[in-house]
Amino acid sequence: MSKVALESRPALARHVRLQIDSVTGEPVLLYPEGIIELNATAHAVLSRCDGRTTLSELVEVLAREYEATPEELRGDVLDCVAQLHARELLVLAP
Amino acid sequence: MKYRPYALLAEVTYRCPLHCPYCSNPTHQSRGDELATEKWIGVLDEAAKLGVLQVGFSGGEPLQRANLARMIAAARKAGIYTNLITSGIGLDEARATELCEAGLDSAQLSFQADDAELADAIAGTRTHGLKLAAAAAIRDQGIAFSANVVLHRGNLNRLREIIAFVHGLGAKRLELANTQYYGWAYLNRRQLLPTRNQIEEAARVAAEEKARLAGKMEIFYVLPDYYEERPKPCMNGWGQRYLTVNPAGEVLPCPTATCIPGLRFENVRERSLAWIWHESESFNRFRGTAWMAEPCRSCPQREIDFGGCRCQAAMIAGDATKTDPVCTLSPDRWRIDEALAAVDADFTMSQCAPRRFLE
Repeated sequence: MSKVALESRPALARHVRLQIDSVTGEPVLLYPEGIIELNATAHAVLSRCDGRTTLSELVEVLAREYEATPEELRGDVLDCVAQLHARELLVLAP
Repeated sequence: MKYRPYALLAEVTYRCPLHCPYCSNPTHQSRGDELATEKWIGVLDEAAKLGVLQVGFSGGEPLQRANLARMIAAARKAGIYTNLITSGIGLDEARATELCEAGLDSAQLSFQADDAELADAIAGTRTHGLKLAAAAAIRDQGIAFSANVVLHRGNLNRLREIIAFVHGLGAKRLELANTQYYGWAYLNRRQLLPTRNQIEEAARVAAEEKARLAGKMEIFYVLPDYYEERPKPCMNGWGQRYLTVNPAGEVLPCPTATCIPGLRFENVRERSLAWIWHESESFNRFRGTAWMAEPCRSCPQREIDFGGCRCQAAMIAGDATKTDPVCTLSPDRWRIDEALAAVDADFTMSQCAPRRFLE
């Protein structure tokens, strides 16, 4: 898996849609002929991938929201972003 | 909720300008009485309420329906991700713009081969050039661009060239689908079935190219099930995740299910989609594992491959409740081996029955 820089600004790839599943109320990611049902962590991360916020800023925002330290969250957030980036569902703007 | 449909295949017409001999549409089909646009809009709305998140507009050639953009818009409005599964014939700049504005997310464009002469011979019509224009229209509109190439004895030897060709067109995703033998393809099985050498070489080429193009174009290689030892998990299980509505409005657990004798399919003209999905006899007939006979019933794989394909069991083993004859544990496996043994290496398209309508 490619390494993800903390300075990069992730955004949903074109053609990828994040929406709430009307049947379950849970978040889902839709893309060409594919569906991913997201867990809470992935949703918290993805809903903030706006192409402007850097990953390190995103970690800090989440840390404040979930009353954790950035160090505690960083690993999970980077894993999540790297996985979705590897599947080309996220793009990483410099 | 135990069973939920995630994806709907909306076969909006059986009409198609191509005559591909591997078409999986039913061979007994006439143009028939197509479901009206307004009815399709209602079906898409019902599908979304049932849980459908993805729709594939297919056929036949879905662009033959003049009001396709209205159907796409209705699907988008209902929160469904929209895919167009097309030959590209009829997809000029103006039509692509119209569909894009209606909310089309993604297009899967079919090709028969990389080489125009071979491609046109397979399609039975001069359309390869039009497909190139369709690819440009998809790219220009910024619609997600996938390609699909059905593989068989007549084009497998060009797999590497086919992959390079599709990559050169700018597709982000390529489905290499070995022919599945239903409908016209079943009729033309003797001409289309590849040799074992071809299959082994193709699997090697596909794996190499998949690695070479990683990060540039995703490649999905759909295995040829006749050469496998275990059956495919057809539709991920009958009535589990998928449903098809055919041009006449019949609701099917799989697109080829009408080939199963004795099974009656409900129609959206008469029943709600929800009732058909949950209550109908056809959708419940092969759900779960209780319907299985041996060797499936006690097989540790029964929750993995669900006994394989019911259509293949009906067509080849003569009984839809039997094990898919592709499985080497099936007492009918010899019927598949017999078909494979009959493969002769000379492929001539002219000996195939081209897809057409029976009026």
